[in-house]
Amino acid sequence: MADMVSIPHSQPQQHQFNPYTENGGTILAIAGADFSVIAGDTRQSEGYSIQTRYAPKVFRLTDKAVLAVNGFAADGNMFVKKVRQRLEWYRHAHAKDMPIRAIARLIQTMLYSRRFFPYYVYNILGGIEEDGTGAVYSFDPVGSYEREACRAAGAAQSLVQPFLDNQIYFKNQTPAPGTSFPGHLSLSTVLSLVIDSFTSATERHIEVGDGLEMYIVLAKNSPSIQSLRDIRGMSELTATEDGERVFVVRRDLKKD
Amino acid sequence: MSIMEYNGGSVIAMAGKDCVAIASDLRLGNQMLSISSNFQRVFPVTDRIYIGLPGLATDVTTLRERFRLRVNMYTIKEEREIEPEAFTHLVSSTLYEHRFGPYFISPVVAGISKTPTGGIKPFIAATDLIGCINFAKDFVVSGTASSKLFGVAEGLWEPDLGPEDLFETISQTLLNAVDRDAFSGWGAVVHVITKDQVITRKLKARMD
Amino acid sequence: MFLTRSEYDRGVNTFSPEGRLFQVEYAIEAIKLGSTTVGIKTPDGVILGVEKRVQSPLLEASSIEKIMEIDNHLGCAMSGLTADARTMIDHARVTAQNHAFTYDERIKVESVTQAVCDLALRFGESVHDEEAMMSRPFGVALLIAGIDEHGPQLFHTDPSGTFVRYEAKAIGSGSEAAQSELQDKWHKQMTLKEAQVLTLRVLKQVMEEKLDQHNVQLAQVTKDKGFEILDEARLQAVIEEM
Repeated sequence: MADMVSIPHSQPQQHQFNPYTENGGTILAIAGADFSVIAGDTRQSEGYSIQTRYAPKVFRLTDKAVLAVNGFAADGNMFVKKVRQRLEWYRHAHAKDMPIRAIARLIQTMLYSRRFFPYYVYNILGGIEEDGTGAVYSFDPVGSYEREACRAAGAAQSLVQPFLDNQIYFKNQTPAPGTSFPGHLSLSTVLSLVIDSFTSATERHIEVGDGLEMYIVLAKNSPSIQSLRDIRGMSELTATEDGERVFVVRRDLKKD
Repeated sequence: MSIMEYNGGSVIAMAGKDCVAIASDLRLGNQMLSISSNFQRVFPVTDRIYIGLPGLATDVTTLRERFRLRVNMYTIKEEREIEPEAFTHLVSSTLYEHRFGPYFISPVVAGISKTPTGGIKPFIAATDLIGCINFAKDFVVSGTASSKLFGVAEGLWEPDLGPEDLFETISQTLLNAVDRDAFSGWGAVVHVITKDQVITRKLKARMD
Repeated sequence: MFLTRSEYDRGVNTFSPEGRLFQVEYAIEAIKLGSTTVGIKTPDGVILGVEKRVQSPLLEASSIEKIMEIDNHLGCAMSGLTADARTMIDHARVTAQNHAFTYDERIKVESVTQAVCDLALRFGESVHDEEAMMSRPFGVALLIAGIDEHGPQLFHTDPSGTFVRYEAKAIGSGSEAAQSELQDKWHKQMTLKEAQVLTLRVLKQVMEEKLDQHNVQLAQVTKDKGFEILDEARLQAVIEEM
């Protein structure tokens, strides 16, 4: 008792609730001529603790659109739920699946509607445009968006994006004399790059690892289907007869 | 604000087959304002050792002089050229002397070392700003673009590259990494060190 | 006749024992007093035509507005109490713009028609202790023309909030004669030009005055140019082709 110190004039303490956390992980999407690949790792962490080794960050919305969500997992899951609800309402009101371009705009308005209490998430939307081309749309948390050929986001964005600049956009490369760069990359090349990106990120970033989920969306009658023949661990998720097809490939990543 | 971002700059070193390479960007900035596109931060130590000093520019100058002095003292006392391993420990102890008021530099060392059997071995290492050494077998990175350098290097590097392939690999890694970093870029320089020569090339880079 | 209805024709939301809503039926009657309006769908687009009743030589015919734009790909012609149509078209325009803002695409013709019809039924709504937003059903029928991913389409809406798609449709005072004429003359592979001429011919038959470029108005929705009201020069050219 003697060494207990009493503080006679203790200051009033204020406690603040922080509504956000960062749950790590990385997502990535690449668009081809007639396909799109959307991928994410499955580790979910908080600080140095792994909460789960399997928490999906990539979701099939329709047979033409797949959404990857990274950042604060609670916000991400709720956001996907709300997007799905809006897609259902749209289906009832307009008797069709929402095209990817419309989904992209919808996501912008949904994110911006929370401009002053944002969903703490980075979104990447991949799929097939109405003209049959592969598309990737990337968003910031308050709805700024852009259509691109490839995008990485999340914990290992800084590791993956410059690698993609080099391998997808051929940045800082010059074609050998008399040759030119391929206009569009093949599905098998893209899948290899995605796997390489995630194994690299897993190697050097503690928040990335455990599992990899790659969604592949193919346009109607896409010849790219040939590349999927001998892919290990693939399953089909196509729900409609519209022609577009969705596949998922699951792989292990290092767990350390 | 990070003190590394005050002047900006990045360095990377890679090991190949009987050769090593060290490369750096050439930017000197004052926070977001670019000052020079020809700022040297990689210096020869001996014929076979180079050191890169990314970090606070004033400390680049100071440390370069300090290392020159200490390497000269070593050469005179020992009557032989310093080996990369010994030099790295010299760097480490010099930095640790200032444990509680450090130089804001995270050095990268690249060189060719001699084995006891008379062979040669590529050597690369990096330390943090207080001298904790990382002896890597593949590549080491440092500076404001380090996370980007890690990502690209992890994707492009492979074992036992010859001098020309190693040059291409380190150049591509550096260029693509600094293009995504606001604090690095504005030109680049690459040194490829083999047992009997050093090839130095300046790279044409994006100037934005 | 009016004696039997008197108990039930006041409340807009009270069914008669026979299951009828008299106010809605009267509203539909009101359209039959309106000027004749015709719409024709072709594979290349939709034509809308209206008769403008110029009751006085001092009236400026160009100030009568019975065809209006909803969006670039949507047009609308009206018959009945045209003032009511303002409210509906305003709603249609807002709906179309909102859709473009939220989804970055053009709203479908059916969707915008549905939105207008949703509004048409709002006369029954009133919140307790508050003034009702609408006191009676709209007294106007619309022909909504447009083009979307399903091609050119023509919709008819009436005060009951019912909407139906037509190949060709006439509404207003001369609608019965006009509709049977359309039934005779309309065919699936009409050109836009043929449809323009047919529209005017049908209007001419049911109009009391002699048809000229001042007392009719033509509009069309095409894939290339969207909605456009034909100016007097173009209208004159069509009249000459009749």
